[in-house]
Amino acid sequence: MAGADDAPLTGAGEPISEQEALRRMRQQDDLSLQYYAAWWLGRMRSHHPEAVPLLLAALQRRSEPSPADSGVDRGAVARNAARALGKLEDARAVPELLAVLADGDDGLREAAARALGELRAEAAVTPLCQRLAGGPAVAGAPQENSPRLREPCEALIEALGDIGSADAAVLAVIEPFLDHDRPLIRSAAARALLQLTGEQRWGALLVELLGHSQLQVRRAALMDLGAVGWRPALEPIQRTLAENSLKLIALRGLVERGQGDPDTDTLLHAMDALL
Amino acid sequence: MTLTPTPGTVDPLQLVAAVDQAATAAELLRATQTLAAAANDAAPAEVIACLVGILGFNNPGAAVAAVDGLIAIGAEAVAPLLSGLDEHNYGARAWAVRALAGIGDVRGLELLEQALGNDIGPSVRRAAARGLGALRLDALPQETRLAVRERCLSALEGSRGDGEWVVRYAVAVAVESLCAPLAAGDPLQQRARLSLQALCGPDEDTDVVRLRAEAALRRLEA
Repeated sequence: MAGADDAPLTGAGEPISEQEALRRMRQQDDLSLQYYAAWWLGRMRSHHPEAVPLLLAALQRRSEPSPADSGVDRGAVARNAARALGKLEDARAVPELLAVLADGDDGLREAAARALGELRAEAAVTPLCQRLAGGPAVAGAPQENSPRLREPCEALIEALGDIGSADAAVLAVIEPFLDHDRPLIRSAAARALLQLTGEQRWGALLVELLGHSQLQVRRAALMDLGAVGWRPALEPIQRTLAENSLKLIALRGLVERGQGDPDTDTLLHAMDALL
Repeated sequence: MTLTPTPGTVDPLQLVAAVDQAATAAELLRATQTLAAAANDAAPAEVIACLVGILGFNNPGAAVAAVDGLIAIGAEAVAPLLSGLDEHNYGARAWAVRALAGIGDVRGLELLEQALGNDIGPSVRRAAARGLGALRLDALPQETRLAVRERCLSALEGSRGDGEWVVRYAVAVAVESLCAPLAAGDPLQQRARLSLQALCGPDEDTDVVRLRAEAALRRLEA
């Protein structure tokens, strides 16, 4: 019987083994296979010693020309590689992710910012702040002919909150975004400030966004409250109109990251009722 | 014979018409909430059909209200829910499984087993797990009750290793509620405890699942 290593490269989307994912990362002919493999290594939180070096190599090749007929370009592979590196808890990824924060592709900057936040990379605080320094009118201004902002503000701000460095200078960079005209950016700013300062007023602002007329905003506020684990939000979370799946993720955050009242048993009881 | 509505009550068919005429998501939500609040076990077939239809509208608020209405209607809603399943509408199926889980009618058993074991949607598997822990078994003859409880537990045991934390969480909740009425020496109780021990053991990487399984074990052993 042929070993797993002799198996042909199968199409994306089917269940694959770790060996298969690594082999797809090594080959250079079909970027769509790399694209899926990069996602897979992050999703499965691969601990294989080759995973991080292969993902870093994919990041470094981001500007090389893409082979024809791939259907996926190197930028897309790099974005998935950055996302995966955020999940693998390996500090070797930090220098390259910092370099990517200056890339011309704002989607890649966004993925790198989120990854640096997940890695709690202190070294990222200054470059993240620099990208946001223009405030809502510059970093937060819409790109021409695109719904995207000049900087991926939501990801940059959330990364600062996740890293947890509560310098006055960091707070001063985030605070102006509380007045951004997009509620998702205001939600990200309130979330980061709540993480960094623990001040109730930022939690109250997120709770206010749970009552927003747009479902997309209510969903973001749910995720932000869960990310912080702000327990006083229990009842507003129960009341808001959104999918139970998202409420359950938010309440999981309250259980695992929060403390104080309401107590854990009360939160678990509330989760049971949402199943 | 002409039926005259009792003064002070609303004709449920008018409430159905209000749902049909809703032009915006907000109007649909309000009309569904009103219809669902008036639903009970004597609801006419038009009301049941209307509530089942709302499950497919991709309006989460209205679907929540419709599920509540269908649960209030109870057994009469089971057959329309089972026959109205749309395998191409993932959202609608999730809500239907949730309604059947809330009604707790044993006619939903097979659907809940299939949904827990095979559905691609974690929210469907989650609702199915919860439903398998909440079927109303009291009114069944003893032999049937034993067999149904065993089937429910087997299905839940099979999903202890589900890849989604929220499904494993629901399995812990369901195993507890399924086996809480049993005596400590009952073989199914012992199996239930093994499942819960696995869900709070070293292989479980999600804190909230471990916490929930520990709470269930504490209560089953109290």
